[in-house]
Amino acid sequence: MHIIVCVKQIPDPEVPPAKFKIDPDTKKVMPPPGLPPVISVFDERAVELACRIKEKNPGTKITAITMGPGKVSDVVKHALAMGADEGIVLQDKAFEDSDSFGNAHILAKAIQKIGSYDLILCGRQAADWDIGQTGSILAETLGIPVVTVAKDIEVAGDKIKVSRVMEDGYEVVEAPLPCVVTVSNEVGLPRLPSGMGIIQAARKQVPAWTAADIGADPAKIGPAAAHSEITSLFIPTRDTTCEVITADTLAEAAVKLALKLRETKVV
Amino acid sequence: MAHREIFWNISHEYIMYVLSFIAVVFVAYAIYRHYKMWRMGKGDERSKNMGSRVWAFVKTGFADGLGHRRFLREPYPGIMHLLIFWGCVILLLAAAVDAITHYLVIPLEGSTYLWFSLVVDIAGILVLIGVILAITRRYIQKPERLNTFLDDGVILSLIAIVIITGYMIEGLRLAATEVNTNPDWALWSPVGLVFTKKTLFGGLSHDTILTLHSVLWWFHAVLVNGTIIYVALSYSKLQHIVISPLNAFFRNLGPVGAPAPIDMETAEVLGVGEIKDFTWKQLLDGDACTNCGRCQDVCPAWASGKPLSPRKLTQDIKTQWQKVANPKSNPPESLPPLIGGAIAEDEIWACTTCAACQQACPVFIEHIVKIIDMRRNLTMMQSKMPENIQLMLRNMQTRGHPWVGAQTLRLRGDWTSGLGLNTLAEDSNVDMLLWVGCTAALSDRNVEVTLALVRVLKAAGVSFGILGEDEPCCGDPARRAGYEIQFQTSVEQNIALLQGYNVKNIVATCPHCYNTFKNEYPKFGGSFNVVHHTQLIADLLKQDKIKLTCDLRSLATYHDPCYLGRYNSIYSEPRNILHAIPQLKLKEMERSHSKSFCCGGGGTHMWFEQQIGTKVNDIRTDEALKTNAEIVATACPYCLLMLEEAIQGKDLQQPLKAKDIAELVDQAMEKSA
Ligand code: SF4
Ligand code: SF4
Repeated sequence: MHIIVCVKQIPDPEVPPAKFKIDPDTKKVMPPPGLPPVISVFDERAVELACRIKEKNPGTKITAITMGPGKVSDVVKHALAMGADEGIVLQDKAFEDSDSFGNAHILAKAIQKIGSYDLILCGRQAADWDIGQTGSILAETLGIPVVTVAKDIEVAGDKIKVSRVMEDGYEVVEAPLPCVVTVSNEVGLPRLPSGMGIIQAARKQVPAWTAADIGADPAKIGPAAAHSEITSLFIPTRDTTCEVITADTLAEAAVKLALKLRETKVV
Repeated sequence: MAHREIFWNISHEYIMYVLSFIAVVFVAYAIYRHYKMWRMGKGDERSKNMGSRVWAFVKTGFADGLGHRRFLREPYPGIMHLLIFWGCVILLLAAAVDAITHYLVIPLEGSTYLWFSLVVDIAGILVLIGVILAITRRYIQKPERLNTFLDDGVILSLIAIVIITGYMIEGLRLAATEVNTNPDWALWSPVGLVFTKKTLFGGLSHDTILTLHSVLWWFHAVLVNGTIIYVALSYSKLQHIVISPLNAFFRNLGPVGAPAPIDMETAEVLGVGEIKDFTWKQLLDGDACTNCGRCQDVCPAWASGKPLSPRKLTQDIKTQWQKVANPKSNPPESLPPLIGGAIAEDEIWACTTCAACQQACPVFIEHIVKIIDMRRNLTMMQSKMPENIQLMLRNMQTRGHPWVGAQTLRLRGDWTSGLGLNTLAEDSNVDMLLWVGCTAALSDRNVEVTLALVRVLKAAGVSFGILGEDEPCCGDPARRAGYEIQFQTSVEQNIALLQGYNVKNIVATCPHCYNTFKNEYPKFGGSFNVVHHTQLIADLLKQDKIKLTCDLRSLATYHDPCYLGRYNSIYSEPRNILHAIPQLKLKEMERSHSKSFCCGGGGTHMWFEQQIGTKVNDIRTDEALKTNAEIVATACPYCLLMLEEAIQGKDLQQPLKAKDIAELVDQAMEKSA
């Protein structure tokens, strides 16, 4: 079985928004200096899920693929250290500022170049823009089924059973292979790369493919091909006021608090 | 002239030499067997630099060996062992003197002989008193730390019987000779003389005495050699007579608790997953352990009900090693694994790396590195670790510091805002780098200390710079968690960063950073002059650069952080500072200095809590409360947080505040400025 996992590098989502700046001209986010980029949390869970499938189904091969500018190979190395077997980086000036359709096109082209695959895993959304469309459009582009927000996958022959997260539990759906599955955070804590994993990952070569390498259609990628446009970008300001409720007894304080909560329509 | 005849009343004495020869053969075989078993382990640096090792052994041999420095920290067992030790040493020397005088025909006579008789008699009594103390302790008092096996009873009895039969033989000889011929000589063997009394052997006929003497003499000779053979063949703890000094000889002469670096390029196994992954010295450690339990008595993990006892850990490694070494009686497939079998994972994670055990161990066993080596295997080979450790390590990997989630509160450089501090990126032309450390930069409570320290340094006119938001983690938490790969990555990057700014002097606020820079970076090519802030402040006070005029009118106690005290022997500087603060009285806790008890935060325990037993910081806070102090001063960000947490958790009648020494200095300085 061959699993392809799409991973994305994003600015650390744990950093409070107030630390970011926005360039009003280009409408781009500027992360605070020194902020290390990380693997998107959902994508990391996709890698985790792939590793778990591999543990249960020996002989499975995992390929991690990422796209982006700069040192994105770090996220591929992270996936390799976790247990992926191969990694590919997609890097080209022409790829930058593509929207979900553009990205899906690039990924589809790269996956077609890879050739054989049984399962494609993506994070349910990237933890930076939270758009959550690329996985579905990718399936559409490749002409295969998609199952979204998975928390578990069980392989049964040429089919998979996917546990999908619902608001009040989960449902199990069956899908034929090959297909795309987007993975949710309910998968649980991704493994820490083992020392041996890191050492082996460091020794692996990660090829970088350009638009020409994968034969991407220039008309379908980049800002010009975008189906959507950012009209304004801002950091929401959040006002917090702090009020300390004082009273002589705890009971009295509780009553005052309850009244206050009702007054402010919190409850 | 006073003398005695060796082999008096004994014929066929060559039989004794045959016996001794057999014993020597068994001893030689035992040494060979142990040697082979130690060599099951990997290589160890300890076989290098023999010259300095010999010198160190000779230098400390007097105090630690002959003087029993480590034993005497506890009077009862200390004196007990001292008596047996010195008694046996004198008796062995006496036997040697006998042999020498006999064969070199140097007469031992006159007053020398008489004094010799007296000393030997007293030595036997010392051993007997020691044995009685030992029996009382082991079988009547039964302290928790002693685990008694058959061997303990056997060897105590053997020693007692050997000594008593020795006296009886002496008594019989005296009864047949000196008592009649030279009664004033016999007075120099007072204990032997007891056995010439009418009530004991005195009333026997001369012939009976002679027969009894020769029978007992042979019994004694067989018993002594038999004991030697028993000890050589069994795993009796009396083997420690040879193995413990050997272990002391190969003891760690470098920094405390520093694991060996791993060569990531060539390593095939990371850490210790089975017996043969230990080094030969680590196996020798186990062999040298006498199961005395001193380490267990001082261990915070044990005291707080965690599943770890350093005594048991050492013994379990030893047992597993003995089993692995004897595959015939212990087929490998029947053996439990080392980790998760002989040693539980919970034990491995329970250690705070406080080094109290190593300080207490009379035979210089090193527990910490073994524990870290097993953690290395768990984290780097098996990816098995408590969830919070995993979160902490992931955070170090992605965000460069261990404080999971702290980034939503502050960023590294936040504490500097408005202080107008100089970062090395702006100007690296300063005397020293103030290395703040992750905790002191990210945790709100610790930032207060950092700010106080900055005020003190500024007031003293120290020329320093900071790295601000570029300051990474020193790597210590990853190393103690066994995640060496992250540690070594951090070290490499940090050395490049610091050398890039041409940093020579570092003042660290955290004893863990301090220890790592000072003791562990040099192995990776990073040598800096590192001081802890208490050292720097003590120095500034000495030079009169800081004036402490404002009196604090308070009673304080001082909690020694493990990584400052036991790891780096910094005991006096913090106390000197406290003494310099006007109207601040210092009262020591029952356990202080090298016997200080851990706060519970070291060895990665700052980031995870084993939900077993009680809390280490509660125990330590109770000790602080016993002094009636109003301030428990310390000099470590972890200790500060741990103590404060424990204080807040208690419903206290008396006021007790946890403070860093830098804060107290700042306070004592403030109003005068
Ligand atoms: S280092 Fe401290 S916690 Fe660890 S075993 Fe030794 S005494 Fe116990
Ligand atoms: S490790 Fe040392 S202190 Fe602990 S039981 Fe063994 S000999 Fe005693």
